[in-house]
Amino acid sequence: MRDTDNMEAEMEYDDGEEPSFSDPEDFVDESDQELLGDVLRDKPQEADGIDSVVKMSHLCRYMSISDEWEAPEKQPFKDFGNLRHWLEDPDCRDQYSVIYDSGERTGIFANDVKEPIEVEERARWTETYVRWSPKGTYLATFHQRGIALWGGEKFKQIQRFSHQGVQLIDFSPCERYVVTFSPLMDTKDDPQAIIIWDVLTGQKKRGFHCESSAHWPIFKWSPDGKFFARMTQDTLSIYETPSMGLLDKKSLRINGIKDFSWSPGDNIIAFWVPEDKDIPARVTLMQLPSRNEIRVRNLFNVVDCKLHWQKNGDYLCVKVDRTPKGTQGVVTNFEIFRMREKQVPVDVVEMKESIIAFAWEPNGSKFAVLHGESPRINVSFYHVKNNGKIDLIKMFDKQQANSIFWSPQGQFLVLAGLRSMNGALAFVDTSDCTMMNIAEHYMASDVEWDPTGRYVVTSVSWWSHKVDNAFWLWTFQGRLLQKTNKERFCQLLWRPRPPSLLTQEQIKLIKKDLKKYSKIFEQKDRLSQSKASKELVDKRRSMMEDYRKYRERTIDMYNEQKPLRLELRGGVDTDELDSNVDDWEEETIEFFINEEIIPIGDL
Amino acid sequence: MKPILLQGHERSITQIKYNREGDLLFSVAKDPIANVWYSVNGERLGTYTGHTGAVWCVDADWDTKNVLTGSADNSCRLWDCENVWYSVNGERLGTYTGHTGAVWCVDADWDTKNVLTGSADNSCRLWDCETGKQLALLETSSAVRTCGFDFSGNIIMFSTDKQMGYQCFLNYFDLRDPQQIEDNQPYQSVPCNESKITSAVWGPLGEFVIAGHENGEINQYSAKSGEILKTAKEHTKQINDIQSSVDLTMLISASKDCTAKLFDSTSLEHIKTFKTERPVNSAAISPIMDHVVMGGGQEAMEVTTTSTRIGKFEARFFHAAYEEEFGRVKGHFGPINCVAFHPDGKSYSSGGEDGYVRIHYFDPHYFDFELEA
Repeated sequence: MRDTDNMEAEMEYDDGEEPSFSDPEDFVDESDQELLGDVLRDKPQEADGIDSVVKMSHLCRYMSISDEWEAPEKQPFKDFGNLRHWLEDPDCRDQYSVIYDSGERTGIFANDVKEPIEVEERARWTETYVRWSPKGTYLATFHQRGIALWGGEKFKQIQRFSHQGVQLIDFSPCERYVVTFSPLMDTKDDPQAIIIWDVLTGQKKRGFHCESSAHWPIFKWSPDGKFFARMTQDTLSIYETPSMGLLDKKSLRINGIKDFSWSPGDNIIAFWVPEDKDIPARVTLMQLPSRNEIRVRNLFNVVDCKLHWQKNGDYLCVKVDRTPKGTQGVVTNFEIFRMREKQVPVDVVEMKESIIAFAWEPNGSKFAVLHGESPRINVSFYHVKNNGKIDLIKMFDKQQANSIFWSPQGQFLVLAGLRSMNGALAFVDTSDCTMMNIAEHYMASDVEWDPTGRYVVTSVSWWSHKVDNAFWLWTFQGRLLQKTNKERFCQLLWRPRPPSLLTQEQIKLIKKDLKKYSKIFEQKDRLSQSKASKELVDKRRSMMEDYRKYRERTIDMYNEQKPLRLELRGGVDTDELDSNVDDWEEETIEFFINEEIIPIGDL
Repeated sequence: MKPILLQGHERSITQIKYNREGDLLFSVAKDPIANVWYSVNGERLGTYTGHTGAVWCVDADWDTKNVLTGSADNSCRLWDCENVWYSVNGERLGTYTGHTGAVWCVDADWDTKNVLTGSADNSCRLWDCETGKQLALLETSSAVRTCGFDFSGNIIMFSTDKQMGYQCFLNYFDLRDPQQIEDNQPYQSVPCNESKITSAVWGPLGEFVIAGHENGEINQYSAKSGEILKTAKEHTKQINDIQSSVDLTMLISASKDCTAKLFDSTSLEHIKTFKTERPVNSAAISPIMDHVVMGGGQEAMEVTTTSTRIGKFEARFFHAAYEEEFGRVKGHFGPINCVAFHPDGKSYSSGGEDGYVRIHYFDPHYFDFELEA
């Protein structure tokens, strides 16, 4: 276990780092449109056709460019080894990070059915919590000075980003960029609240102001990492990478925009706008970069909307809370957008009760809804079929649940009653909507599926409950495998896996031959079981031998001391219960034990 | 195992004790009565009523002639046990009156000539068992927490609490020297600077006292010089209970740090550790098998936040050599405060915060059970 205190010293960010004198190709204009407010009265907008703006105070930098060009110094190549090393584990064990000791210790473990295998463990590796990058390549840790990224076989430090007082981070889906937020750093001239960094070079790409970090991430990424966007008052600003400039050099004015989100599968943004006088509320789907509105859906008497994308972007569900005309109450509809069909048809599912939770099946076309009010909470499973219908497959009532956790591979899910519902768990197979198992992890605060969908971890975090801090490992069917207690356990996060490199055809072939592969794996499992048994048996044997030897020595000593004992008690032998037979009187007593009445039948 | 449930108390059990032969089980609780039960079938043989305060401790002398109880009603009482088979009257033989505060501890010497009591009235008193006459009054500066006679019955020890600015002391008096008693001058008084003594037992031959402290330390204090002969710093939190094996060669310590540990009494060598996830209140060593039993649970304050369905209130059996848990016995609705093996090792009992005492006789399976080795 290494002490990472020294890292603080390493984090010294070279202040006053001058841009290199040669003009790199992707030289980024550092100033933001907002910078110029106090320099020019009319803020020139990038939309006004101005290409780039240079602040006068920066001008001197360009004046002092030397006429002689010096080649930049070649940096020594830092080899971090194979950053995907963990995927090569011969037993395909997934890793997870564990923070415990109220944050003092962070460990990385490999998930083995017998017990967790410690891979790495360090004290004060992070000051608050950790995050994995979306494809699992990096582990990000938080420090007063900024963020550090670790990876490779030995979790060496790969990169660090200096952002004083950093509180939140976000990765682009492609892991090329990381976005950091700190409430401390912002000044009017130099926006530093949010900074976007290039992960591979460590360069600061662009800084932004930020009014409030309440809805993090402020910048939302397109699935391919080509664009990122944020919403401000009546405005949607979309930026492109790697330039970090506004797409088409201008933001979109969308009056009243309340919320937006990217499809996880395509470069499409969904956003919604509330009712404005006699213009109804509407949800719009916009294609980027073309900015074509491929679908607009009008909604009436809307109170609120929430956008839920299915993991592949196949479907969008808009949860609409409405107050129908002439009524006081709020009803909820689900507007289901079928993204893969022409014209994006929309189907509506009406819900009679208030909604507690909603979740799409990843990779699939089902969704689960928790609805009702405690103590009468129900779960309903729906299937979005190809024929334009949305069927209610099944409903279970009287559930103790407030959250839904689908397996990342679909089909299976866990219904959990976290925190105030005392950790009730239900394991469901949605292929036939059966309850595979009902269990409980008292006071569980979190549920995390492993990336393969084989295992589920339920845990009681010290951050929410001060005793019984532990994490439990279950199979996807709800069979409890392990309980691991960790002193003041805080957080467990599975390491994500990058998307499979296999094609759909290859996957189909493997599924066909699954029986063959199963046999090999079962044999392997049996071998390792018996190996474990043998180890355990050997260990016990040696422990017993040692113990016996100890007891023999002690009993020898005890026997030697007998004269001393007799002396201490004036000659009376009290060593055994029956040592003093002379002192006994024998009495025979009868006492009542049992009465049995046996009828002798009619004679 | 068919447990026998003893319902005779209205408040939490403070201590349970078998007599030497093991046919009787005594239970005392925070309600002011002491009960004696026939351990083979749980039939209540008698109740010793007379105390008016919580009864904290009980002991029977080595041939079960008499029973002693110490109580918060400021008295220690001696009861006649002899007729308990014939009459259910629990005839009271006598009361030792004199204490003016809760009696925390009591012990009788091995052939029941004398009784020693320690109390919150800042005194330790010696009594003649038969006549009830107070033989000695030893005043202290703070409450007396533990006390006991050594193997021979000639030397007494008691420890005082750390309170009101006074330290914890471990005091030794030799009863063969009347001058010590008269002058209230222990021949040895050992200050415990850092951490007060929470539980103590005598060593096998009266040469030292083994004491458990609030900070988790276990120390051997010489009965001659008072110096610390050996120290064991194995536990990280308060020692709740120390019990000796039946031959006094080993002891087991139960600690708030969620473990129980086995030590050699003479060398204080740490031999085994038994790990759980809850504080351990009490532990005992089986007289005939390589087993230990442990009982615990959460502190009373936190009990309401634990689901009883989790069954954390279980007596847990560990293999003494392998340190592996091999069995649990559910049943208590609250933390277990005291566990004890029957002297013949064929049964055990547990007393809980829920006010129940449960006697369990082991199935034949228990004696044949072996972990694969």
